[in-house]
Amino acid sequence: MTMTMNKTLPILDVKNVSKSFTLHNIDGRTVTALEDASFVVHPGEHVSLAGSSGAGKSTLLRLIYRTYSITAGSVSFRLANDEWVDIAQLSDAEVIALRGREIGYVSQFLHAQPRRSVIDLVARAGVSRGMSTADAHEQAGYSLARLGISRTLWDVHTSVLSGGEKQRVNIAAGLISPPRLLLLDEPVSALDPENRERAIEVIADLSDQGVAVLAVFHDLDAISRLASRIILMSRGSVVTDGPVDQVLPQLTPGDVQP
Amino acid sequence: MTSIHVPSPIIQVRNLGKYYGNFDPAMIDRTGPEHGTARDHVTASIVAAWGVNFDVAAGEALGIVGESGSGKSTVLRCIAGDVAASTGDVRLAPFEDGNVNILDLDPSARRQLRINTLSVVYQDPAEGLALGVTAGGNIADPLTAAGWRNFGAIRDRARELLARTEVPLDRMDDIVRNFSGGMRQRVQIARALANKPPILLLDEPTTGLDASVASGVLDLIRQLLEELQVAAIVVSHDFGVIEMLTERCLVMQHGRVVEDALTDQLLEDPHHPYSQKLVAAART
Repeated sequence: MTMTMNKTLPILDVKNVSKSFTLHNIDGRTVTALEDASFVVHPGEHVSLAGSSGAGKSTLLRLIYRTYSITAGSVSFRLANDEWVDIAQLSDAEVIALRGREIGYVSQFLHAQPRRSVIDLVARAGVSRGMSTADAHEQAGYSLARLGISRTLWDVHTSVLSGGEKQRVNIAAGLISPPRLLLLDEPVSALDPENRERAIEVIADLSDQGVAVLAVFHDLDAISRLASRIILMSRGSVVTDGPVDQVLPQLTPGDVQP
Repeated sequence: MTSIHVPSPIIQVRNLGKYYGNFDPAMIDRTGPEHGTARDHVTASIVAAWGVNFDVAAGEALGIVGESGSGKSTVLRCIAGDVAASTGDVRLAPFEDGNVNILDLDPSARRQLRINTLSVVYQDPAEGLALGVTAGGNIADPLTAAGWRNFGAIRDRARELLARTEVPLDRMDDIVRNFSGGMRQRVQIARALANKPPILLLDEPTTGLDASVASGVLDLIRQLLEELQVAAIVVSHDFGVIEMLTERCLVMQHGRVVEDALTDQLLEDPHHPYSQKLVAAART
C-alpha cells in the first residue's frame, strides 16, 4: 500500500527542522526540543509518531501547525493547486487561512467553546471548510451517530458533556469535510474501549479519503491498526522512519507514552 | 507572496503614536521597554504609544494585551477618536474605501464615523451608555443619529438587539442605572451593534464583572463576532479573554509593541521576555 502511495507527490515535506525555546526569565537558558527532523507525508498516508515522553512528537505537530514558531529548517506544504509553501515563512494571516481549511489539528482536549449545541459546533466546522449549512448539518449528525453520540445530546451545550463525549465531539468537528492534512495529538486518549473502537474506524476512513494524517497515539494497538508508516523519535530526533511491519517490532511500551 | 487567500484588511494602522507633553524626537529613543518606562526623564513627556502597526480583516478579532499603562487602551482610543493621536495613519476600508487617514478628519467627521462605521464597547458602561436613560432609549440614540425616524421601527430594532444580547425585554423601559453590571454591559453591546457597524472596538469588555457574569458576556461577544463578521480589536489584560476571542494578537509594554503573534503561539511559545513573563503569570 505504501509503495503505491509514494508514487504521488508528498503533501508535507519537513526538512531539517529544529526547535529551541529561549527562557528569558529562567537565566536565559535555551532548551532544544527538536533537532534536525526530516520526513515527508503523502496524501492518504497515516504516519504515526512514536517515542517516549519528551521525544518531540507533540512538538513536531505544534511546529507544523505553527503553534510553535520554527527555529530552523523548512516545513513545506503542498496547497490544493500544487503550489508549495513553507509554513515556517508564512505570515500569521496566511497561517490562519490555512488552519482548519487545509491543515487540521485535533488534540485530546475540546477547547473552550461558546455555548453552542453539539450539532451546531460540528456543523460549523463543516461550514468553515466550505460545506453548505444543510450538508454540514446532515454530515454532522452522521458523524456524531458514528462516534456514538446519541441524538439526545445533539442539542445540548458542549459544556455539559463528559470528557469522553467532548473528545468525540472534538473528533467529529475535526474530521467533518476533512482538511487535506490532519494532525492528531492523542485524539482517543479519554475514550472507553467501545467508543475508542468507533473513533479508530472513523480515523481509518480518512486514509481512504486521501487525507494525509500525522498522528500521536498512546497505544500500540491504535498504531498497528491505523498507521501505514511509523516515525520513531528519541530525544528530539527522528531515529527510524519506515513501514509499520518493520518499525512496529522495534517499539517498546515506553515508545508510546504520552 | 503565496496564493493563499488572505482577506483584505478592514482596519489598517501605520505608525500610530501618542505622547503627552512636549515633543522631542530624542525622547522616542529614551523611552520604551529597554528603558523600562514610557516617561522621558529629560522632557517629562509620556510616550503612551509609538510605532504601532497592524491590520485587521473582516471576521477577524485582533487582541492587544499588556498590563495597565502599556498603551493598549491608548491605541484603541486613538482609533476610536476618544483621544487625538499625535501621529500615524489609520484607514478604514468601509470609510471612503480606505482612501482617507481618519486621524486627519475634523471632530464632527470623527463623530460621524462612530454612528455607522465604528462602535466601541468600554469597560465602564457609564462611558458607552447614558445611565439615566432607559435601555430602549440608549439603543434608540444611535438609530436616530443614523436617521431612523419611525418610532415603531426603532422599538422593533431595540427589541431585536436586546433579545440578541439576552436582556429581558420587560427591562427595555427601565433606566440603565438600575441594571446589574453584566446587564449594563449587554445593553452597551446592544447599543454598539445598533447600526450594524463593520468595526467593533472592545476595551476590557468583561473586566470588573463577576467571573460567571463575565463568562456569559464573553460568550455573547464571541458568538456575535462569529455571526456578524465584523473586524474587531479586543484590548484586555486577561489572556483568557484574548484566547477566547482572538486568533492574532499584539503584546504591548511601555507604549511599544514587543511581540505580535498567533494567539495560540503567544500562549504556547512566547518569545519576548515580557510576553514570557505575562504568560507565565497567567498560567499560575
